[in-house]
Amino acid sequence: MSSAAFEFNGVVRFTKIGTTYLAATMVLAISAINTGNNALYIGVALMLGSLLLSGIASKGGLKHLHAEIGGMEEVWAGRPAHGTLRVRNESRIWNVRDVVITSEALAEPVLLAEVQRRGTVEVDAAFLFPRRGLAHVHSVDSYTRYPFGFFLKKRRLRVRSEVLVYPRVSTGEDVREQFRPAPGEESVANLPGPGSEIHSFREYARGDSLRHVHWKKSASLGRWIMKQTEAESSSSIHVLVDPYQPQGTPDDELEQMISSAATLIYHAVQRDLDVTLSLPSTTLRARQNQSASPLFRALALLEASPVPVHQFVERDTIVFSVMTSSGAKTGDLLGHERDSSLGTGITGDPASRRG
Amino acid sequence: MTRRSRELETLLLAMFAAVPLYFTYAISQLSLVLFHLFMAAVVVRVALSRGPELLPARMMRWLAIAYVPFYIVDAVFLSRSAIAASTHLVLFIAAYQPVESVHRSNHAQRILTTALIFIASLATSTHITIVVFVFVFAFFVFRQLMYLSHQETAGVLGRDYGEPPTAKAALFYLTGAVALGALLFPLLPRLRNPLVRGFAGPLAGASTALNDTINLNRRRTTPQDATIVARVWIEEEARPYFTPVRLRGMLYDRYENGEWKQNLRGLRQVSSRGGIHTIAHAGGIERAAIVQLRSMKGKVFLPTGTYEVKGMQTLYEGAAPETYYTYDDPPLTLEVRLSAEPRPLRPSHLEMSGYPISPAVETLAHTIVGDETSVSGKAALIEQYMLRNFRYIPNDASAPPKSLERFLLFDRGGHCEYFAAGMVALLNATGVPARIAGGFYGGQLNPLTGYYAIRREDAHAWTEVWDGDRWLTYDATPASLRPGAAQSNPLQVYLAALSDSATFFWDRYVLTFGLGDQISLFTDLFTWVGESSSKLRERMSAATGHLARDASTLLVVLVALSLGALLFRRRRRRAFDFLAEYLTAQGITVGPAMTVEEALRQLRMQHPEAAVELEPLVALYEEESFSSSRDANRARALRRKLAELKT
Repeated sequence: MSSAAFEFNGVVRFTKIGTTYLAATMVLAISAINTGNNALYIGVALMLGSLLLSGIASKGGLKHLHAEIGGMEEVWAGRPAHGTLRVRNESRIWNVRDVVITSEALAEPVLLAEVQRRGTVEVDAAFLFPRRGLAHVHSVDSYTRYPFGFFLKKRRLRVRSEVLVYPRVSTGEDVREQFRPAPGEESVANLPGPGSEIHSFREYARGDSLRHVHWKKSASLGRWIMKQTEAESSSSIHVLVDPYQPQGTPDDELEQMISSAATLIYHAVQRDLDVTLSLPSTTLRARQNQSASPLFRALALLEASPVPVHQFVERDTIVFSVMTSSGAKTGDLLGHERDSSLGTGITGDPASRRG
Repeated sequence: MTRRSRELETLLLAMFAAVPLYFTYAISQLSLVLFHLFMAAVVVRVALSRGPELLPARMMRWLAIAYVPFYIVDAVFLSRSAIAASTHLVLFIAAYQPVESVHRSNHAQRILTTALIFIASLATSTHITIVVFVFVFAFFVFRQLMYLSHQETAGVLGRDYGEPPTAKAALFYLTGAVALGALLFPLLPRLRNPLVRGFAGPLAGASTALNDTINLNRRRTTPQDATIVARVWIEEEARPYFTPVRLRGMLYDRYENGEWKQNLRGLRQVSSRGGIHTIAHAGGIERAAIVQLRSMKGKVFLPTGTYEVKGMQTLYEGAAPETYYTYDDPPLTLEVRLSAEPRPLRPSHLEMSGYPISPAVETLAHTIVGDETSVSGKAALIEQYMLRNFRYIPNDASAPPKSLERFLLFDRGGHCEYFAAGMVALLNATGVPARIAGGFYGGQLNPLTGYYAIRREDAHAWTEVWDGDRWLTYDATPASLRPGAAQSNPLQVYLAALSDSATFFWDRYVLTFGLGDQISLFTDLFTWVGESSSKLRERMSAATGHLARDASTLLVVLVALSLGALLFRRRRRRAFDFLAEYLTAQGITVGPAMTVEEALRQLRMQHPEAAVELEPLVALYEEESFSSSRDANRARALRRKLAELKT
């Protein structure tokens, strides 16, 4: 199924049938002029009338078409997204048949069997966006041979459609395996952090919440002792994406890195893990049974930064960056002006996870 | 419509396209019958779902190869006509293609072949019923073309066969195409190629039933053929002088070897001035008439009294004097001038006919004329005598032929040629030169069109008498028994008039529509526009007086507004031109049918940086060009950006 057979520069093209028809009309016209036979003139007049009408009808039909795109919910780069294409024919005269709609945004051409005058047709359509981000569909091309197939007429229909395209996510079996959490990660982390079980005690530090004071120990020791809970790291991951794109780095590398991050998050969500995504300006969380759409939306809209961005890398954070280096540690400051090799070169590789 | 029913329609359409060929005799009936039998058998097979392979495809292929030399044999020896042989070839292809369609999709070629058969039918048809044929054929061809278009679109996308367009859609487009065709028909140029005459031959089936000679010893019948051979329009006030109409085409002025013959002397071209051929000197009352003439093997039948003819490129006198021929393709529409007493330009053969007058006939003649000495007096007396004493016996096929002598002296009954010849013999016996004139007489007035319709059955003969200055017309055949005198009931007359009106319209405004008519059409149109505008101006000035000046002002304002609109459009075009110019400078050739966006796409591939720079401007340009609403800010922004780009 290809739209290549339809696409051409310009607005009209003679088909093979049309060319043959035109040649036959010319021959008949010459015969009519040569012989003065008015019966032949009738034939020529009718043939020219049909040719003219064909042009008027196809142009008149396409001229009054209006298209709208809608119905797309989650759109992933490189993956067909199902939406609807709504075409309205505002003509009072012309029904249009056999309209083919093509567009760079459409995964395959859409064939509309008939759009009646003053009528609307809504069809399911598969859209395909190669890149993440805010995709604008400004136009779709409509083609028709109707009514007699003499011409292939083209008209560009203006559409106003803005689609947020999530990053490309790999979903193959091998990819799923690649992004599977390492053995033991699902057990207790044995680290202080958010949780309910007490992990250890420490001295009071300025800014600590009084809710975490262990009153019994504080009373016995005569100073404030704070309790630390054990982090429930087994069901959560923390992903940090560094948008820094050094000069000379191809766009594809950044896109690939973001795609890897999205793939990791996607599979983590599939496994009911809590996901925290840190970006330069924001940190987003998707807990179990919650939609991860905000995370993907943020990744979709993430723009490359021409200068290094300061981001605090916590312990056990999975860092995604276009930089290749030895890696970041908990408490590291990801600042490339300080050490450009500090960023982790994780490109979807779980082994690069730092703990 | 299923595939099978569509296939049946395609087959039946090819058969239908060939039907008119039965009536035009353009090709032999045998080949047509063979074609229809073969196709009918294929139709039956397809209807029974047995496929169109009436003959095995391999055999058909061999037949096709064998047809190539056969075509030459056909053209040279059998049909002796390249056109007929080509028509046979097309019929063979039409029969071959259904068999071939089993192995190869050839629907488009089959429609083309059917169209060729249709053209062959159309080119040789002149009857008005061809209009119905054209409409029916066009309807089905439109359906087929729409189906084909639908199938090709679906096929390119790899889709399955869907619901094809309906008959209603075909009817809709047929109506539109006919309307456009009707508008185009009078506008298509009627300029003939002077070097190659083309292949249209004279129309068949319209002979006059008049012979080159009159031999009263042979059996003769006049067919009861209602085919209209001519129409004559004469203005109402001229009718008392020039009706009943006599269309004269033959003059038998010589008796030789038992036959009345024409005194042949060869063709002589009649010179024309301003397209008008003068064939006689006018005399007496003069009036105009229009003669619409069907083909009569080049013979031009003109009303008696004609002295000027207009509407032919060439006109020849001959082969007999005062009879006329033309090589112009029929039917003809002639404007003629009639006079009540025309005189020949060059009187010829004013002696006696050479009929051997017997003493008995001579005695009879002198008995009739008595002491009368004037030519017209003698002729009138003989005419009256015959009208009173002779009987008209039309088409007496059973009666044996008789001599003129017997007719005059004993039987005193016969058809018009006996009366005409008898009068000539009697006049010659009294020393008056006379001749037999042959042609058509009377006709039937069509009240709807004002034309006298002259039919083949109106063939008649009468007598012309030389009075020393001009030929006088006499008709000794009893008037009530002359052609066209039969009475019909009113309904028949009305229906005949209605049918003739349609045929007249067809003949006058379709078949005979030519360059002269085109010029008249445009002249009339310009005259009408001129007169209408004059009337409008007069009314305006009469009604509003000083407002006429205001109308001029209004006109100026309208012109200014139109110019403004034109400039505005030009400005939009300039934006495109400028963008195209810029893109061309970047190495992108922007053709006239290329959109800016397409050019931008090419630029993006060749110069991405330049494309990025140009992108917002193109977006703005497209928005401005295609937006349904006007936005002054947007237009200003576009102008500003274009100006920036210029710098």
